[in-house]
Amino acid sequence: MITSGIEEKTFVLNLGPQHPSTHGVLRVLLEMDGEYIVNAEPVIGYGHRAHEHMAENRNYLQFLPNMGRVDYLHALAFNHGYCMAVEKLIGVQVPERAEFIRVITNELNRITSHLLWFGAYLMDLGAFTPFLYCFDDREHILDLLDRITGSRLTYCFYRFGGVPVDLDDDFIFGCRAFIKRLRSRWVDYHNLVTKNVIFIHRAKGVGVFTKEQCLLYGITGPSLRGSGIAYDIRKSEPYSAYPLFNFDIPTGENGDIFDRYLVRLEEMEQSCRIIEQALDKLPNGPVMAEKVPKRIKPAAGEVYQAVETARGEFGCYIVSQGDIKPYRVKLRVPSFANLSLMVESFKDNLVADVVAILGSIDVVIPEIDR
Amino acid sequence: MLLDSIPKALAPLNLEKVAPGDYSKTGCHLEVAATPAQMPAVAEALLQEGCFLESLTAVDTSKAAFTLVYHFANFSELCRTVVHASLAKDTEAPTISHVYPGANWYEREVYDLFGIKFAGHPNLKRLLLPEDATIHPLRKEFPAEAEVKAEAPK
Repeated sequence: MITSGIEEKTFVLNLGPQHPSTHGVLRVLLEMDGEYIVNAEPVIGYGHRAHEHMAENRNYLQFLPNMGRVDYLHALAFNHGYCMAVEKLIGVQVPERAEFIRVITNELNRITSHLLWFGAYLMDLGAFTPFLYCFDDREHILDLLDRITGSRLTYCFYRFGGVPVDLDDDFIFGCRAFIKRLRSRWVDYHNLVTKNVIFIHRAKGVGVFTKEQCLLYGITGPSLRGSGIAYDIRKSEPYSAYPLFNFDIPTGENGDIFDRYLVRLEEMEQSCRIIEQALDKLPNGPVMAEKVPKRIKPAAGEVYQAVETARGEFGCYIVSQGDIKPYRVKLRVPSFANLSLMVESFKDNLVADVVAILGSIDVVIPEIDR
Repeated sequence: MLLDSIPKALAPLNLEKVAPGDYSKTGCHLEVAATPAQMPAVAEALLQEGCFLESLTAVDTSKAAFTLVYHFANFSELCRTVVHASLAKDTEAPTISHVYPGANWYEREVYDLFGIKFAGHPNLKRLLLPEDATIHPLRKEFPAEAEVKAEAPK
């Protein structure tokens, strides 16, 4: 602080809303004291599409395509959460093979999300090459998912009671080949980035989330596990076919950017393990439950279903009043809570670290705006 | 076991209802009903038990009242607690953002979309809609389709 009679003043720096590193349309008003941030106030809502209001004016099936558009990077997890919530309301059991297909596609989608984060985040930090590597890998999954779901990004693949199409041999073969290929790439990834001294200096000890902060703000996902809390809905509240597979929950120690980065890289390997086991054990049978009513009209009641997305916990809370339309749908999205803590962690940091911290929690702004 | 310790921690507050829920149907292990005025005390008791605030929202239940819905979960043990608090329309609910800072944004969102005011909130401004908006779209009286008042160009 300067105390030589010069008036101390802060100024406001506007970050966004159109800024490549905000990963969507996010605006943050940064109150600066020189290069240090005194206060930060985010302005969100630029991408508000009123999904929750739409839900109240559509029937259950008509609202399903919206789920691919809330978090477009891990659309299948949102499909999964909403379908499971409705299945609980109408009491439909999903056949085992369909559960396996859901897990396989879900984990493939999780890898695409983490790969995109990996490339885009490192580009934010000034490294261009990793982006090319991971988009090359990501393209293989998009082709695989395109083959069975029919779309590359905003998937709408699950139905109430199962999945509409079965996997074919080409998909299974392609999936195994892809996992083999991805595993051979980890060495390159680590050599390129994890051991890169510039990245280490920007990531270690920066943007720390403490365990207490995580509890108070309700942080979930890799951002939480980077702080050393092994909370993953796939393990702690097992759903679908996840209890049948062996996988670990990677955690960090310090809760800084570097730990969150390592957690995400390791999670991709764990997803590969889940997919491999699911392909090995894939049971025969139908992929759609037999008695799914065409007209979905659940009895009055409410349900909360949580699933683990690439960014944390997605909770789908549906209130039914016995109508063909939901009475209320609340989408509890992970980035909403994560972003509200991140703004706190900006304080007393340098402006140069803002982009590093912002990217490290992997925000998808349309998911926050809904 | 949180299923035992949470009801014990909530017992001194004399809540309307603390009962085990049907997890396979509702996804919640404990169902609690409280008045909005009791919510800061409920939140403090749940924080002592190590729970985090999963979600905070409202439902436009009837012409006379909203229902505030709070979901709490725990990092170390599977036990989801849902708290329903019925709030008469045109009354204010006390904030819980001093207990859970994460509630700050959730309450702003509820204010934005339902017009429910939270007394004691440090920064109760609109969150998702523009600052100069005059609507609260998740109220049931809000029309499903926007009224189009197109005027022919002169």
